[in-house]
Amino acid sequence: MSEQRETGSERVVLDVDNLRIHYATPQGDVIAVSDISFELYEGETLGLVGESGCGKSTTAYGILQLVQPPGYIVHGSIEVDGTEVLNLTEEELRKFRWTGLSLIPQGAMNSLNPTMRVKAQIVDVIESHEGKANYESFRERLSVFLRKIRRPRRGEPLKKYLGEWLRNLTLLLRYEPLKERIFDLFQAVGLPNRIYNMYPHELSGGMKQRVCIAMGVALHPTVVIADEATSALDVVVQRIVAQTLVEVKDEIGVSLIVIGHDMGLLAQIVDRIAVMYAGKIVEIAPVENVYANPLHPYTQLLIDSIPSIKERKPLKITEGITHDPRNPPSGCIFRLRCPFAWEHCALEEPPQINVEAKHEVACHLFDEQFEERRSNAFAAIANS
Amino acid sequence: MGGLSLNYIMRRLLVFFLTLWVAATLIFIIPRLAPGDPITAMVARMSQQAGFVENADLIIEGWKERFGLNDPVYVQYLRYMGNLLRFDLGLAMARFPSPVSQLVSRALPWTIGLVGIATLIFFTVGNLFGALLAWTKTPKLVKVLIPMSMIFTSIPPLLAGLLLVYIFGFLLDIFPQAYAYHHSFRQPEFTLKFIGSVLHHGFLPAMAIVLVTFGYWALGMRGMMVTIEGEDYMILAQAKGLKPFYVLYRYMIRNAILPQMTALAVSIGTLVGGSVLVEVIFNYNGMGTLIFTAIREQDFNLIQGTSFILIVTSALAVLIIDLSYPLIDPRISLEGK
Repeated sequence: MSEQRETGSERVVLDVDNLRIHYATPQGDVIAVSDISFELYEGETLGLVGESGCGKSTTAYGILQLVQPPGYIVHGSIEVDGTEVLNLTEEELRKFRWTGLSLIPQGAMNSLNPTMRVKAQIVDVIESHEGKANYESFRERLSVFLRKIRRPRRGEPLKKYLGEWLRNLTLLLRYEPLKERIFDLFQAVGLPNRIYNMYPHELSGGMKQRVCIAMGVALHPTVVIADEATSALDVVVQRIVAQTLVEVKDEIGVSLIVIGHDMGLLAQIVDRIAVMYAGKIVEIAPVENVYANPLHPYTQLLIDSIPSIKERKPLKITEGITHDPRNPPSGCIFRLRCPFAWEHCALEEPPQINVEAKHEVACHLFDEQFEERRSNAFAAIANS
Repeated sequence: MGGLSLNYIMRRLLVFFLTLWVAATLIFIIPRLAPGDPITAMVARMSQQAGFVENADLIIEGWKERFGLNDPVYVQYLRYMGNLLRFDLGLAMARFPSPVSQLVSRALPWTIGLVGIATLIFFTVGNLFGALLAWTKTPKLVKVLIPMSMIFTSIPPLLAGLLLVYIFGFLLDIFPQAYAYHHSFRQPEFTLKFIGSVLHHGFLPAMAIVLVTFGYWALGMRGMMVTIEGEDYMILAQAKGLKPFYVLYRYMIRNAILPQMTALAVSIGTLVGGSVLVEVIFNYNGMGTLIFTAIREQDFNLIQGTSFILIVTSALAVLIIDLSYPLIDPRISLEGK
């Protein structure tokens, strides 16, 4: 799994531009997502990482138009395959959902309706988007049923005859035209067919998560967003579910955004990683660059904090986001915690600097005019 | 799974019969805890009215013997239980020759009809209104009108009944003021005209119960709906792009109604008690009026009989709701542990 992934296509399927999301509070707006921009290419898996509260889930919900009040989108543009999501009317948005953008939710444990069978929850999403146009009417099914009825052959076991009769009757009364299609989905995510008629409370956590994955790709959406889809599971199941996710993604050919805070797990499954801090993307790069050569001071700290089995070492990051999210510091958002910060960081906000192909970082150190400062700072780190 | 298991039904039935047994025993014990005995009290009343009763002691002894009050308590208890099993509730003292069971069987269908239909209406309307209050897509106007319709919630059914009689029975004169059907019918019959008359007469009493009750259910439902709206599966339902109305009934109401059903089972006893006064106001010939007259006439047998039948009816309603619960909530354990 860890071999280098080639991002096949250069076609942009999701283009987020200058997206800003606030949560209204009586003491002023909390800036959850602050003017972020990124692109997702066709067939690609993009990881979105950051500590709790950095706005990664809010970004996902913003893209899906699911920001719950008091949250609201201040400005920005979200284009999926050329469709501007923010301009859709309510009914257009309803139809666009799940066919354009689908969600694999954070809490799969509680994301399935407890009073509906698994099959019904997959059927409803298919039917509400594709309609029931091609279904056979009851009259048609009845005529098929009547044609199939026959007298028992001589010497035929009664049990076999009655069994056939019962099967035909079931076909007539419990008409399930989507059954085969749902079985295919189950197979793709490694679920047994027997859960078809079950209720969510009869499934394990991993199974529920797989149901959510099966549901998420049922309509072959352009982009699937997996919002911490594996964080509620134990490491073994987590690993298997994450693998399933990638396999299904490749099989069906969708583009995927994976949100998480488990850097180790993400490294296994994504092509590119965007590192978020306090509502901003501080670094976005192909996955092997981020791990081998992290550029932004925050990314460096984050990579350093991945626990190692071989040695025990104190965490470099000891506190969470320190500033008041209603009132962010001037200039660079990370300067309060940055080991390399100097006066210039407070003066202006760092732009996204393109260091190498597809590797962008938002830090003044990588501005050409501060090259000397950068080499000194990094040399000091290397010596210590 | 889904559906009912035999084990579940058996356990519910056991609880049902246990309730009846406890109720019957209490009804047996409570009057006997009071000082004196009903026969002496009755003869004393008679002598008060008549001034003097000849051979009072003999009468008391004779009646005590007749009603078996001289036997040991356990014999009385066993005989009482035996009679209950045969639905023999004894004779009504105040209307002497008619057996209690006959009076009850005449009155009970009216009460079941009235309270049953009223329950159906207020449960449906209350939950629907509550759901609409919480739903984000409800028109503004509806959200303003529904709370206004709930002003009657805080007044007792008695007053609501009087108010309705005054407005619709007296001032507007579009609904009859009393009785369960028009006096031109000698006895109940199965004709459209009779059924029409019953509905016409039953409207105001049913409304008196509905008006004061449905607001309570609407508020409960709204609370449940708000809770459901915060559930993870609601966000997924929204993300799935399902039709809003489908989400309302299949995801929200379907889940919010479950605790409401439990609450209904719990409140049925109170409901039947509350309908007594409404029946009295409308002179409705149901169990309420029967109990009322029984108490007024101090007819112990009738009081015991009607109380017992009301308890049976309530327990039966609870049993039905209990048995239907696994059918609407798949998470209720059917196997029994």
